[in-house]
Amino acid sequence: MSAAAAPMESTRRTSSSTSPLELGFRLLIIGLVCAIAFWLAFNIFRDGNVFLAVSLVVIALGVTVINLRPELWPLRWMTPGLAAIALLAVYPILYTVYVAFTNYGTGHRHTKEQAIALMGNEKFLSEGGTSYQWNAMANAAGEFALWLRDGQGGTFFAQPGQPLRAVPVDQAGTLNEDGIPTSFEGYNLLERREFAQALRELQTITFGDAANPVGIRSRSEAGAFEQRWIFDSAQNAMVNQETGVVYPADESRGSFVAADGTEAPLGYWVPIGLSNFTRIFNDIGISGPLVRVFLWTIAFAFFSVITSFALGLGMALLLDKAFPGVRILKSLLIIPYAIPGMISILIWRGMLNENVGIISTSMQNWFGWSPPFSTDPFWAKFAILLVNLWLSYPYFMLICSGALQSIPGSIYEAADVDGANSWTKFWKLTLPLLLVAVGPLLIASFTYNFNNFLLIEALFKGGPAMVGTAAPPVGHTDNLISYTYRFAFGTGGRQDYGFASAIAIVIFFIVGGLTLFQFRFTKRLEEMGEGG
Amino acid sequence: MANTLKSQGSALGAIRPAQSGPGAMSIAVGALRLLFIVVIIVFTLFPVLWIISAAINPAGSMSSQTFIPQGVDSVDDMLVNVRALLEDPQVPFWTWVLNSLVVSSITTLLTLAISALSAYSFSRFRFTGRRQLLVTILLIQVFPNLLAMVALYLLLLQIGPYIPFLGLNQHGGLILLYLGGAMGVNTWLMKGFFDTIPRDIDESAMVDGATHWQTFVQLIFPLVRPVMAVVAILAFVGTLNEFVLARIILQDREKWTLMVGLFNFVEAEFSNDWGKFAAGALMAATPVVILYISLQKYIVGGLTQGAVKG
Repeated sequence: MSAAAAPMESTRRTSSSTSPLELGFRLLIIGLVCAIAFWLAFNIFRDGNVFLAVSLVVIALGVTVINLRPELWPLRWMTPGLAAIALLAVYPILYTVYVAFTNYGTGHRHTKEQAIALMGNEKFLSEGGTSYQWNAMANAAGEFALWLRDGQGGTFFAQPGQPLRAVPVDQAGTLNEDGIPTSFEGYNLLERREFAQALRELQTITFGDAANPVGIRSRSEAGAFEQRWIFDSAQNAMVNQETGVVYPADESRGSFVAADGTEAPLGYWVPIGLSNFTRIFNDIGISGPLVRVFLWTIAFAFFSVITSFALGLGMALLLDKAFPGVRILKSLLIIPYAIPGMISILIWRGMLNENVGIISTSMQNWFGWSPPFSTDPFWAKFAILLVNLWLSYPYFMLICSGALQSIPGSIYEAADVDGANSWTKFWKLTLPLLLVAVGPLLIASFTYNFNNFLLIEALFKGGPAMVGTAAPPVGHTDNLISYTYRFAFGTGGRQDYGFASAIAIVIFFIVGGLTLFQFRFTKRLEEMGEGG
Repeated sequence: MANTLKSQGSALGAIRPAQSGPGAMSIAVGALRLLFIVVIIVFTLFPVLWIISAAINPAGSMSSQTFIPQGVDSVDDMLVNVRALLEDPQVPFWTWVLNSLVVSSITTLLTLAISALSAYSFSRFRFTGRRQLLVTILLIQVFPNLLAMVALYLLLLQIGPYIPFLGLNQHGGLILLYLGGAMGVNTWLMKGFFDTIPRDIDESAMVDGATHWQTFVQLIFPLVRPVMAVVAILAFVGTLNEFVLARIILQDREKWTLMVGLFNFVEAEFSNDWGKFAAGALMAATPVVILYISLQKYIVGGLTQGAVKG
C-alpha cells in the first residue's frame, strides 16, 4: 500500500507547504491548548490525581508533536478527534485497567494518608471527660447553639464551628426560673415542643471548634468529644481510643484489621495484583452467578439478533410485493424503531405491569392466567426478548428491504433457466447474498445487545432476583453489563469498582474479538488496503 | 425496476411451491400470509396506540385505562393529561426540552466537524499506520462505556473546580463526554462516502494551486452534504435519546434532559401518573418519529451504505 502511494504522497506534501501566517496561527492554537492543559494538569496534580494530570500532559504533547512534525501532517486534520478520543475513550480505558488491579471501591476509595486523616475526624463522647448540663437555643435562621453549665459554676455558649465562649450568668441577660438565659445574641431558648422536634438533629451536631468539640450525650448531659482513631506509626496501626483495640495495617488488602478479624471502618486503595481476575474465574468455578449471567448474556444477544433478523427479513419479503398502501404500512411499521428507546421500554414496562398492565389484565380476563413476569425467570426472559424483538425488527426490515433491492435480478433468471424452484432460490441465492450485505450488521447488533444495558435495567431492573447470591443482588435477567453496573454503582450493596473494572476488561476482550472477527468476515480491511 | 420487482416476487414466492396453480392450497397459503402480516401489524402498533390512548384518557391512571378512552367528550378532555403534566411544578417540561435541544445541537455540530476532518484525512491521505489507526478508533469505541463511566464521572469531578462549565451537572461536561464517541462510527461512515468522490476533483484543484483546506471547504464539502446530513441526524437523535450518561452527570432537575426527566418522573409514581407519562412520552417521541419517517430513505442509506457496498 505505502509503496504504491509513495510518489503521490510526495507531490501532496509539497502542495501543502504553509505560509508564515498559517504557521503563526497554528503556533498560537498549539500554545493556547498547551497552556490550558498544563495549567489544568498542574492543578489536578496538586489535588493528588496524578494519573489524570499525566494523561493531560501526554495529550497536550501529542497535539504539539502532531502539529509541528512535518511528516505527521495528515494527522493534523484529526487533532480534535484524536484529542477527544485520547481523553474520553483511551484515558478511561487505561484508568479502568489500572483500577482493575486495585481494590478501589467502598471503604477503599482513598490513599492510606487520606484514610487516616478521614478517620481522624471521627469523634466519640468519652465517658471520662468533662461533662455539661445543656440547654438548646436557636436563632431566626434555624441555627442551633447550646448553653452549657459545667456543674462548678462555669457557663458557656457553644456554636458549631466556633470556640466555646465562657459567658458569666450575670452577663447573659434575662434568666428563667432555672437560671438559663431566655435569649442570647439572637438565639432564643427552645420551648418544650420545639425542643422535642429538634432533639434528633441536635444529637448529630458537633458544637465548639475542632480543639474543643462538644456533643450531646443524653437528654441531660453533654460531653467533650475525643478523636476515636489515632494512627500509631511505630506499630503501623490504627488504635481505637475508646476500646483500646489495635488495628494493624494489612498492606496487601488495604485494610486495618484487628486480631479478631474485624476491620476499621475505612481501608485504603492498594494494588492487589490479579486478585480481581482470579475472583472472576473462581466465581465461575464455584457455581457463582457469573456463569449464569454470562450464559444469559450470550443467549439474550443471540436470540435477539436471530428473532429480529428473521422477522425483519420475513416482513421485508412479504411487504416487497407492491400493493396499495404498502409504503404507508412500512412507514408505520418502523415507528418502534423511531421512538426513543427509553420511552418504548417504559411503555412496555407499563403494559407488562403485573397488577394493572394491559397484558396481564387481558390475559387474566381471557384465560384466567397471566405470565408471572416479576417472579418467574422464564417469563421475564421471554418478555425481554419479545420487547427487544419489537424494538429491533423494524431496523432489520428496513435493512433487508434495501439489501434485497441490491440483488441483481439476472441471478434469478439464471436460476430459472437451471430449473430451481423458489424454495431453492431463497436458500441458495437470496439468503447467502443477503447475508453478505447484512452479516456485519448482524454482528454489530450482536455486540450491541451483548452490551445492552438500557433494556435490561429499564424493563425489570434485572429481576426477578436470584436467590442465595451474595451482595450486590443479582437478577435472573441481569446481563454482564448490568451485573457489572451493580458492582460499580449498585445501591445497597458495597461498590466494588476494582472487580467491576476487571469484568469490564473481560467484556472488552469478548466484544473486541467479535469486532475483529467482523472485519475478517467482511474483508473490509483488504478492501480498504486496495482501493479505499 | 421491473427486474428488481420480479426478483423480489420470486424471493417472496419461496414460501409456496412454484408450480402450483391458483388452487385451494395457494389460497390457504395466501390467507396464512395475510394473517401473519396482520398479527405483526397489531404487535407492532398496539403499544403505540395504547400510549396514545393513555395520553388522552382523562382518568390518568393505568388501572382506569381502556383502549377507547372513556369520558372523552371534547378536545379539552383529551388534553387533561397534557395540562396536568405542563402544570406540574415537579416537571419543568419545556426546560427539559430546551436542555435536550441545546445539548444535542452542540454535540451534533462538534461531531460533524471532528468526524468530517478526520474522514477527509483518512480518505485522501496515505500515511503509515493509517489502517491500524482506523481499526483502533473503532475498537476503542466498543469498550463498554458504561464502565468507563466511573472514570468519566471522576474526570468531570476533577476538571470541574477549574473549568466550571465542563464539570459535573453541567451541559458542557455532558457534551464533552459525548465527543468521546464522535469519531468512531461517524468517521467510518463519512470516509466510505468520501471514497466514492473521484480524487480527480481534488487533483485538478491542486494543480490550480488550491491547498488541501481550500479543496476540502470549497469542493469536497458541498459534494458530501448527503452523508453529512445522515451523520447529523443520527448524531442528533442519538444524543437526544441518550439517557444512561446523562442520568449520571446531570443532577439538578433544572439541568435534566427530556429523557432523564421522563425516566425520573416515571420512577417516582408509575401507575398513578401513567396518563401524564404517556402525554410526555407522546410529546417527546412524536417529533423524533416524524423526523425519522420523513428522512428514512437517507437514514437507511447511511446505515446500510458500507454494508451493502461490501
